[in-house]
Amino acid sequence: MELFTPEIGLVFWMFVFFAILFFILAKFAWPYIIKSLEERGDLIDKGVLYAKNAKEQLDNAKAEAQKYVAEAQKQQADILRDAAKMKSQIIEEAKSAAQDEAKKVMDAAKVAIEQARKESELQFRNEVSSFALSIAEKMIKKNMEGDKAQAELVDKLLKEVENKN
Amino acid sequence: MKRILTILSITLLFLLSGNAVALAAGEEGGSGSINPKEIIFEHLGDGYGWEVPFSHSHRIPLPVIVRDYEGGWHVFSSSRLMHGGEYEGFSIAEGGDYNGKVVGLRPDGNGGLVQYRPLDLSITKNVAALIISALVVALMAFWLVRWYKRNGMKAPRKGLGAFEVTVAYIYDGVIKPTLGTKAKKFAPYLLTVFFFILTMNLLGLIVIFPGGANLTGNLAVTLVLSIFTFLLTNLFGTKHYWKDIFWPDVPWWLKVPIPMMPVIELFGIFTKPAALTVRLFANMMGGHMIVIVLTLLIFIFSAIGGLAIGGVTTVVSMVFSVFMLLIDTLVSFIQAYVFTMLSTLFISLAQAGGEHEGASVATEAK
Repeated sequence: MELFTPEIGLVFWMFVFFAILFFILAKFAWPYIIKSLEERGDLIDKGVLYAKNAKEQLDNAKAEAQKYVAEAQKQQADILRDAAKMKSQIIEEAKSAAQDEAKKVMDAAKVAIEQARKESELQFRNEVSSFALSIAEKMIKKNMEGDKAQAELVDKLLKEVENKN
Repeated sequence: MKRILTILSITLLFLLSGNAVALAAGEEGGSGSINPKEIIFEHLGDGYGWEVPFSHSHRIPLPVIVRDYEGGWHVFSSSRLMHGGEYEGFSIAEGGDYNGKVVGLRPDGNGGLVQYRPLDLSITKNVAALIISALVVALMAFWLVRWYKRNGMKAPRKGLGAFEVTVAYIYDGVIKPTLGTKAKKFAPYLLTVFFFILTMNLLGLIVIFPGGANLTGNLAVTLVLSIFTFLLTNLFGTKHYWKDIFWPDVPWWLKVPIPMMPVIELFGIFTKPAALTVRLFANMMGGHMIVIVLTLLIFIFSAIGGLAIGGVTTVVSMVFSVFMLLIDTLVSFIQAYVFTMLSTLFISLAQAGGEHEGASVATEAK
């Protein structure tokens, strides 16, 4: 049977052409193809990993942003509360300061009034005394019109001085 | 629209195959009878010319290269030997031991002439198909290489993409898991084997010129392929592999005094490639034979039962032929895959031992 007896010519050529094909492809084609395939596979793997990481980071960033927003809101509330507190405090302080000031002013006024009163009193006394003196002068002038009276008075005064010494 | 065109052209191809056989049968059976055996073996076997559609007598001539008994080389076109022609003392034998082969005449020492078979390195139909297949494989591979060089990391599309996917399928699916770290060392051989077999298988299914040769259904071709696997397996075999053959881990009385296990193991070295040879050969030849027989049924039944039965048989046969050809397309791939997978397995078994023990044990477990 022809089919079951390998023909030497075909065996020879098969050997030759397969060897040639093998050497050409093994040298120039397959290593390059495998390398390219693996490189691309690595690239895709890296890309997938990168995308995964990026997504994770994005999720993290979102959470972080939310955290920041919440924090900011808290801070805002704190600030507002502080401000309100400060406002009432300032008002309170202002009130007390004003009261103090008013009191001071009033005290000063009182002192001034007192002083003025004293001054006027003094002045009044002075005037009254000067009045009295002038009245007394006038009266003495009237009484001392006679020499007798004058002499009597001098006597009297001299006696007084003598008594004193 | 494109799909319809494809289907139409494929159908046309099948019809052509039918026609070719029909015409072949018609011309051969000028006397009204057909010889199925002759037709089957003509189509399964080799030839010095390449058939063209619609004609049995015209063939594409191919070079005949022979060395006569005196050591002289003769190169001439096969067209000189067609139709019983004789050239430089050579002719194609009809009948006898060398039926269909180029034979010469030499003196038998008694003054007479005796027919002999010269050393025949002709570029026959099968050899030509071999060259075409090798070119197709090289073309595909270098097309892909060129794509990578031009487009860098971009993935190819369509035909080239399919080729790339197949390369990745074989490399990542068969070679790498089996051979592990040695994958890169043997991948070029295994990939070449896979694509060469696949191309030969598929080209064999196309009935007109660039195809039609029953290459992988030829023992010579599968034999050479498995010899390469055999050589790679044993030349790169590790110490551990050889130790397992000559001194396997079995009870001592299986080794001494009668070396039963070593003999069985040694025998196994040769049965593995033999199994490879026969598996591919038988599968592909069987596929071709079934399609031819189905087609021939048309003429056999026409001859017996006339037009009506012949017509019915034609329809039935064509349906079965198309079905068989579709299966053969699948078988083409499966057989190329199986050959590659088994080659990978044999090579990986010979790589066993040392740091690769784990990997090979894993594959054995499969």
